[in-house]
Amino acid sequence: MNRKRALIADTFCLTKRRRCAADSVTGESQADIRSSLQYLVTLFSRKLFNDSLPPVVLKHQLYSLHNDKTSVDKQVNELRETGELLMFQLGFDSEAFALVFAEDFRAKVLQGEAGRGTLGTVEKFLAKLIPSCSDLSFNKEKMLKEFLFTDSEITQLVKSGVLTVRDAGSWWLSIPNSGKFIKYFIKGRKAVLGMVKKSKYGEILQTELEGRRTTSQVKFQMKYHIHDIIGAELVECIQTTSGTLLRYVDGNVN
Amino acid sequence: MLSFLYARQSGLDDPVRLRRAESTRRVLSLELNHNRDVDRIHGNGINTLDIEVIDGRYMLSGGSDGVIVIYDLENNSKKPQYTCKAICTVGRSSRHVHKFSVETVQWYPHDTGMFVSSSFDKTMKVWDTETLKPAEEFQFDGNVYCHHMSPVARKHSLVAVGTKDPKVQLCDLKSGSRIHILQGHRGEILSVRWSPRYDHILATASTDSRVHIWDVRRASGSLFTLDQHNGDKSKTSSEAVNTAHNGRVNGLCFTADGLHLLTTGTDDRMRLWNSATGENTLVNYGKVVNESRKGLKFTVSRGCSPEFVFVPCGSSVAVYGLHSGELITMLRGHYNNVDCCEFHPDYQELYSGGKDCNILAWVPVLRQPDIEDEETNSKRVKHCLYLYRSAGLD
Repeated sequence: MNRKRALIADTFCLTKRRRCAADSVTGESQADIRSSLQYLVTLFSRKLFNDSLPPVVLKHQLYSLHNDKTSVDKQVNELRETGELLMFQLGFDSEAFALVFAEDFRAKVLQGEAGRGTLGTVEKFLAKLIPSCSDLSFNKEKMLKEFLFTDSEITQLVKSGVLTVRDAGSWWLSIPNSGKFIKYFIKGRKAVLGMVKKSKYGEILQTELEGRRTTSQVKFQMKYHIHDIIGAELVECIQTTSGTLLRYVDGNVN
Repeated sequence: MLSFLYARQSGLDDPVRLRRAESTRRVLSLELNHNRDVDRIHGNGINTLDIEVIDGRYMLSGGSDGVIVIYDLENNSKKPQYTCKAICTVGRSSRHVHKFSVETVQWYPHDTGMFVSSSFDKTMKVWDTETLKPAEEFQFDGNVYCHHMSPVARKHSLVAVGTKDPKVQLCDLKSGSRIHILQGHRGEILSVRWSPRYDHILATASTDSRVHIWDVRRASGSLFTLDQHNGDKSKTSSEAVNTAHNGRVNGLCFTADGLHLLTTGTDDRMRLWNSATGENTLVNYGKVVNESRKGLKFTVSRGCSPEFVFVPCGSSVAVYGLHSGELITMLRGHYNNVDCCEFHPDYQELYSGGKDCNILAWVPVLRQPDIEDEETNSKRVKHCLYLYRSAGLD
């Protein structure tokens, strides 16, 4: 109801509000997304992976922090164009994309590669990738012609974990050692959703869920998982007088 | 509101602006009204609704029991409490009734003397409204999921039919023959729609996750397919390249000006496309729950700014802003799944029908007069009447 009243008021006071609002919106929004990303990065538990993974944030976690999904998408794409952010296809869901800051990614990958023979190839790949390319997957033609890699170098990249096989002759961009992350993430998501589902009436206040003790299945912070399930619309968010209520949505594949 | 009226009166503003603002306000205040009802005739779910374009007075509905009903939406009773009466029915007792569920009905776009219905009994019938007998019957090989006649066509009277067969058939009403087949899809055709802007542009959606845009004047294949990644082949697995959705595409709707096309799919997504280039505008509507195994009939508002999309989602109708993608509200009222909804552009009303055999009318809430205003008004009226009578000016 509140949104409708605001929209109705908007329609009839169009010009004044638009003029004041327009200036403040564009400047703030870019900074907003970056600060939300940095906030979500703090929720990521680095120690869990012995510091070998860069902090990973999922794109739909941003939807839980901002109302307008289309503008979130637009700004994420802008950050990717400038080379600040990298996006990866995680594989367990065609709509789940992981976002990593480019400098973090580069630092962790080189840290992982230190002392190995593949270091040189990986460095060359990262140098080509980070400032200019914002693709999620590469096919053979691109690797050989545009990036001028040889077959053996491609094999080295796959071995080091920066590329994973997509199908014959094409590869996804990936984060090395991310298998463990995906495993823990899926388990944790299932456990948190189970907690919501098992509550009385299949709903629970967000503050109560944050306060609950996590089982051994949940390795990440509770807030990280909560942003994930809200953003992926696996639970419905209802505003009540005692705060946000999360209600389990039937018909989830998970 | 007063400022709008003054601006229109003095010429500062275009008259359209007041109309658009008021239409938008009315659409935003849609609610179930206890004064408006629609006759309950169907014994089984309602699959399709269509309001005629000329007057906006008569509404057709087709149900899962094969029954077709015509309602009169206009309120001539001078009372606020009104039930939209069913004027005539093609019921189970009629000789020509469809044997199985009626999937799509549509009025002839130029007058109400004729309407076309298609059904799971593999036929499409062209009915004469006066006698309620079919003037023509087209037989097909598979279940007919949907059909559509172009609302703007003057030069041709083609009906596009989508059936279980991957070939889209075009039937000509003037000659009664099947003159054209459009090949290109690999799965059942769940939805077909003509563009409201050009009379030769047709969009078809199918279970093979693809949407094709055709120019029926050309002999060669489709103009283009809609690609959800806009040609960026890297974003998805190789099987899903060049698809509009990651599942079956079961709903199509052009916006009123024909410049944009909306598609819904069983991957729980709705996408907005530029209908001239086929580009995905990447408006993110979030999760639009879609479990329909057949076509989904949804609609877009007309004459408002911003435009709204009304999509049946489970047992309620979701209202989204067209270009912003935000969920405005959910219209709850049905007891079971909603299958179809239709927008009445002149009165900004929404009619929705579903499996609970009800057609609900969502009517904009009128502004209630303030209590003090009523009292002073009535006092003023009485005073004026007294003055008139005393002055002998009855």
